[in-house]
Amino acid sequence: MRETTDPRFIEYGQDLDGLTVARQAPPAGTASFSATYIGPGGWGFDPGSKSGVARVVSQLLTSGTERQSRASLARTLDRAGATLASDCAPESAEVTIWGPSADWEKLLEILAEVVVTPRFAVADLQRVRRQLLERQLRELSQPASRAEYELFRAIYPEGHPYRSTGLGDRRSVVRLTPEHLRRFHRDRYTRNGSLLLVTVPAAFGTVESAVRRSFAELPDGRTPELRFPPVRSTRPRIVKVDLPGRSQVELRIGGDSIARSDPEYPAAFLANEILGGRAQLSRLFQRVRERGGLVYHASSELEAMRYGGYFEVGAGTGADRWRKVADQLTNELARIGERSPTTAELRMVRESSVGELPLSLESTADAHEIALETAYHRLPGDYLLRWPALLRAVRPRDVRRAAETAMDRDHAVTVLAGPLDTSVP
Amino acid sequence: MARGGVHRPPVRSFELPNGLRVRLAPVAESPTASVWVWYRVGSKNEHPGITGASHWVEHMLFEGSPRYAKGAIDRAVLKVGGELNAFTDTDFTAYFTTVPREHLSLPLDIESDRMTRAAITDREVARERTVIHSEREGNENWPEFRVEEELFQLAFRVHPYRWDALGRRHDIETMSAEQLREYYRRFYGPRNAALVVAGGFDPAKTEAEVRRRFSALPAWGEDVSVAEEEPAPAGERRSTLSGPGTTPYVQVGWRSPALTDPSTPATLIVDTVLGGESRIFSAGMGWRGRREHPTARLYRALVDKGLAVRATSGWSPRCYPSLFTVQAQAAAGVSLDRLEHAIESVVRRLARDGPSAREMSDVRARIRRGAALAYEGATSIGFRVGLFSTLRSLELEDELYRELLRVTAAEVREQAQKLFRADARVVVRYEPSGEAGDA
Repeated sequence: MRETTDPRFIEYGQDLDGLTVARQAPPAGTASFSATYIGPGGWGFDPGSKSGVARVVSQLLTSGTERQSRASLARTLDRAGATLASDCAPESAEVTIWGPSADWEKLLEILAEVVVTPRFAVADLQRVRRQLLERQLRELSQPASRAEYELFRAIYPEGHPYRSTGLGDRRSVVRLTPEHLRRFHRDRYTRNGSLLLVTVPAAFGTVESAVRRSFAELPDGRTPELRFPPVRSTRPRIVKVDLPGRSQVELRIGGDSIARSDPEYPAAFLANEILGGRAQLSRLFQRVRERGGLVYHASSELEAMRYGGYFEVGAGTGADRWRKVADQLTNELARIGERSPTTAELRMVRESSVGELPLSLESTADAHEIALETAYHRLPGDYLLRWPALLRAVRPRDVRRAAETAMDRDHAVTVLAGPLDTSVP
Repeated sequence: MARGGVHRPPVRSFELPNGLRVRLAPVAESPTASVWVWYRVGSKNEHPGITGASHWVEHMLFEGSPRYAKGAIDRAVLKVGGELNAFTDTDFTAYFTTVPREHLSLPLDIESDRMTRAAITDREVARERTVIHSEREGNENWPEFRVEEELFQLAFRVHPYRWDALGRRHDIETMSAEQLREYYRRFYGPRNAALVVAGGFDPAKTEAEVRRRFSALPAWGEDVSVAEEEPAPAGERRSTLSGPGTTPYVQVGWRSPALTDPSTPATLIVDTVLGGESRIFSAGMGWRGRREHPTARLYRALVDKGLAVRATSGWSPRCYPSLFTVQAQAAAGVSLDRLEHAIESVVRRLARDGPSAREMSDVRARIRRGAALAYEGATSIGFRVGLFSTLRSLELEDELYRELLRVTAAEVREQAQKLFRADARVVVRYEPSGEAGDA
């Protein structure tokens, strides 16, 4: 059957007491395996008084288990030829293992050990705390991260999961104890609401049995819910943060946007690609860099998540040029929502998006990444196969309409962070 | 496959009469094809006044050639779903395009068109000047960039490794289009290039196409070797920078041998014992970046002990003697004196006692792991085949792999003793000024 060998197809199983198991075939000719546990452990779930806890838990998952210290786990991975990585986002946290496919069952057991029985040693917490406190300073100090930090704070109200970048505040991070971490882990790293995606050259039944065995100790838990205070639409605003001594001003224009499940997503995806997502083909690159010669980077992003999303347009430029760049970014954002793209422009960007699918399947790690995005959003198993048809069904006016909704410039926030005081009047 | 433990697909090598070295690495089942052109031209071939020329030429090769007007290369490649980019280093410049396999002819056409006939017009050079300036400004926002630039400037007084590949600010402002064209005419051509095709293609047909497209190009490309020799250091050099930042940062460098030196494998082990992941044998294109490793000595002594939030070493084999570096970002409240002292203790201990048997075993495990999975995907294959072909030869990778697994702890200790001499040390400190950044 094609489904068992085509990496564009995802097989889903029945929930194993709440845990969804999904399997993808690796690209032909590759020799590696990848598996990811993803669940509701993102920083949107940080308790009010413990901001940063999700990030610390996520970082510490790779720092040892009840059975193995951090160094011992690192040696186990080295000898197994594997790599382990963890990350978290507003809605979710994930842990991925990658290594030779010949030993996939052994590696799956290591992943389960890491997810189910993390160590949370005091010394490791102290280390991660020091690192996080420095990152908090860096977030405020660096123009690019500062611009994003201010953008999310300007868009989203207090208590909204997308308002922060998950680094927490100093007061909370210094007070975290191993017990806080264990409690968060116990409540959030559970079967309910979680997914295990395995990219492996093995039949689904074999994968399911291995998951059942390895993750037998993962607790049931209850499906947690995120709370989303309403995002108030306001008039366009500008936030300026003067950071003297830096070389470059970072600009961001952004706002609240649609969720991945929104029916308009394919059209909104193409709108973003036309505006600034499709690298050198995009309007922003063409206008601000190629024709304007004003910046090194100018792009846009549509981050459509499970419950909502945001969009942002961004560029970095010299202190003497930021006004001109800001005008051009604003004009292009307005244009995408006001006028439909030409058929030719839409076709070029759309075919580029369709054509890149083989590049996303070059290696097991690449293929796993796009399958994870698909599976996390509970999209159908043949979604990647149908993706070209979904894009080809989008008409120019759909793009304009989707941009109007998903990249609403009338309520966008503009943030400037950098050496503003040295700029020309 | 699996020759000497390196899981590289079979590579067919040949040279065209004009000097172009060609490497074909077919992978029958690959859905993509990746075309790389590696020029043995980098910032080492520049001189004051035109520092940054290689990087600027890299930009200009996307800005027009006979068959591809400005912007046409980007459009043609992206239209078919491909990706393309380029990067410049001290010793080389590499251009790559990966496309769905049925479009392989496109990047071959592009590369043959721009190898000797890029336009580099006055108008486009003028426009690109601000773009490059902006790229440099973006880097200057990072204290780590400023420190590394200062470190190499301090360490080298004669050799071109003393400037960064981005070039000096003043040269970016003043370099003329004619200087760039002259630089391009001198060094860019088949004699200084390696063409790598990796992924899904028919080797016989592709070889014929490569011969047809590239054989007629003129045998251009002047000698790219560097005559200047940096005198041996006669004492420690140090400098302190200040500016916006979070906590103090320090980078220490020691003069290190060239890639061709027999001590290269031992130096790579020193780097792995101190810093973590193997730099040469790691998955993907991890040439400059590296992951933290909790068993690395610097990590254990500085990060675990609460002195630093990040600490690692760095050594990329280069064509000429360069620097072995250690860099660390202090934890809050830790002084640079204390941090520097701790770094010195770590390297001295390695020079005194050498690595333990367990460390050697750990390092070898990491090297084996990296070698086993480094060749997944056409783009990664093109990168690695091109990199080793450019640094010296494809066999270099196999030799390094064998040697890295053979080197003894005693040899590593001996190499650490040679490297970490106080009179060959260069230190640049960064003291953050003011607050973290509130308006």
